[in-house]
Amino acid sequence: MRTALPEDVVAFGRSARGRLEALGGVRLTLAAETDPASREAVARALDDVGAFDVDPRRSPDELLAAAELCRVAGAVALPFPVVEQLMAVDGARVALVDPLRPRIDHGDLPGRWLAVDLDGHAHVAETGSRTASRLGPFVVPAALVASAPDVPVDDVSRHLVLGAWRVLGGLETALALATAHVVAREQFGRALAEFQAVRFAIADATVAVRGLTELAKYTVWRLGAAGPEARQADALVLRLHACDVARDVLRTCHQLFGALGFCDEHDVSVIDRHLQPLLRLPYASESLADRLVPAVRDGSFESLFTSA
Amino acid sequence: MDYDLGERADALRLRLRRLIEEQVPDDFLGAFTDDPEDLALAQRFCKTLAAEGLLALAWPAEYGGGAGSVWEQTVVREEMWAHHEPRGAQYMGINWVGPALMRHGTAEQRAKHLPPIAAGDVIWCQGFSEPEAGSDLASMRTRAIADDDGWLITGQKVWTSYALMADWCVLAACTDPDAGPGGRITLFLVPMDRPGLSVRPIPSMLGPHHLNELFLDELRVTPGDVLGEVGGGWRAIRDALAFERVGIARYARCDALLARVREALGDEWETLPAGLRARWVRAMVDVRVARLLAYAAVGAQEDGEPDDAIASLARIATTQTDQSVAEVLLEAAGPDGLQGGREGFLHGAVEDHWRYAQAATVSSGTIEVQRMLVARAALGGRR
Repeated sequence: MRTALPEDVVAFGRSARGRLEALGGVRLTLAAETDPASREAVARALDDVGAFDVDPRRSPDELLAAAELCRVAGAVALPFPVVEQLMAVDGARVALVDPLRPRIDHGDLPGRWLAVDLDGHAHVAETGSRTASRLGPFVVPAALVASAPDVPVDDVSRHLVLGAWRVLGGLETALALATAHVVAREQFGRALAEFQAVRFAIADATVAVRGLTELAKYTVWRLGAAGPEARQADALVLRLHACDVARDVLRTCHQLFGALGFCDEHDVSVIDRHLQPLLRLPYASESLADRLVPAVRDGSFESLFTSA
Repeated sequence: MDYDLGERADALRLRLRRLIEEQVPDDFLGAFTDDPEDLALAQRFCKTLAAEGLLALAWPAEYGGGAGSVWEQTVVREEMWAHHEPRGAQYMGINWVGPALMRHGTAEQRAKHLPPIAAGDVIWCQGFSEPEAGSDLASMRTRAIADDDGWLITGQKVWTSYALMADWCVLAACTDPDAGPGGRITLFLVPMDRPGLSVRPIPSMLGPHHLNELFLDELRVTPGDVLGEVGGGWRAIRDALAFERVGIARYARCDALLARVREALGDEWETLPAGLRARWVRAMVDVRVARLLAYAAVGAQEDGEPDDAIASLARIATTQTDQSVAEVLLEAAGPDGLQGGREGFLHGAVEDHWRYAQAATVSSGTIEVQRMLVARAALGGRR
């Protein structure tokens, strides 16, 4: 049993993060809402760090490296579809969609798109224009114009997992910011961090984020070790938990920041707004939980006492 | 990165399950019931484990142990707790009294106490909490007053599990009220039949034997009864509490019961309200996360980097999971779930789990104390 990330993966993530933070980090994301050139710079930076030399399908090690890259993308709310690019098929970015209401985050970027449902059924997608939405400013409607060859369900699972790592990165940044804020901010003559209610809120959010971290690592390992049905279930488990944890942790972070956390001049607001598509598309928590009910029934949601 | 526990741990799990299947009936709900046969069964099972070299698996070979890896110990914790702890009260002797003796005891104490613990012959209890000192253990008031060449202990302990069935007690008392927490408490090894010590059981929703009071009336102790240094008890108590944070694999019983209840309900599971089935899904997710946090704590232990914060994180997760799973299971059982005992739903296992889970966030260090430790690691400061 070795639960720590390998050193080379950590180093890759550190290098990518350094490069993306040098571009402006979360501030760049805010700028990208109005300045298309920002996202072109992001694409070049990702190329520079070798992001798309990583093939998450090639081996468990590369899936882990891809996961760490997505975590970094989440940490800086990167205005670029990293997961969709990593999972591209023949040059077409892959977006997971609800075929009844297809929406694609970052679908406004030039390039071909493949819209894939959770069963792997794929369609060529035509993407529309951005709306004036504050939640997911780069989300566009899509039309499924022609069927395409199915995508392997394992690729759907990898996609779900990489998205969850992106959520994890965003939550780690939000919690780190909130933690630093309560240490620095004084009210009633003392730091917020001296109030027990505040300390307990930080403790609970810390438990939640660390739990998500451990589940995220375990799930990557499971995609290389478990049977086919269990792999699908495990990917859904991670994505569901990421959505559940995100709701609670972002709520805590906003509460600890007070009004400041809602302002776009603060990173928590930007991170939250840009995470929302990942938490809703292709499905939000309750639909994901619903999709796991058959996995409980047929035993593919494995545990110590279903798999032994 | 590899989450495989290893071949030896996997083989151990199968071996333990086989032993349990052979010797522990399906309707066993632990040693702490009104039926004395349950305690007798646990004592017999401990003898079997001892004979197989599994009772003191974690101990070094020089003390009669199996020198098992931390992952093998993890498997033992999981399988025992999942099957309603058929070691009965022995886990306390094996898991922390024994190691505390190895670390702090004299050669004479080790020779006297370790063999019977390793053989499953003796039950220990711990006298720590007091009516005025719960989470704030360092402020305990039970006094050990020097007398001749020893001390006379007077005071009261509370919440002491297994006290009526125990042979020995690790008793904490204040030997120097003017010293700070690091110097005021001394631990004593006391036989439960020594004059001056009496026990009163406390009826509770947890069931018999879980909660008792100890009354200490000029209980005489000698220097030979002291565990470690006089005034050095706090360090050993902290060791014990640190162990308790990862020592009980509550998530494993949740895991086992979710599987057993799912099977017991059969097709009826499909008729549960959709909202309850969604909670069931999340309960299984929470169990998995609690298990992984426990593994992270064990991994830190294996690396020789004991980490208070990760142990507390793991405990917060597992105790909250215990309670949320208990709610899901009792609701799924419906009105039949209220019936306890062997006539109840799943031999009363769901009702028993719900009652015991209520104490999860209180016993062995409250969830508030665990939050304080996590917050201290994240924010600095004390509380």
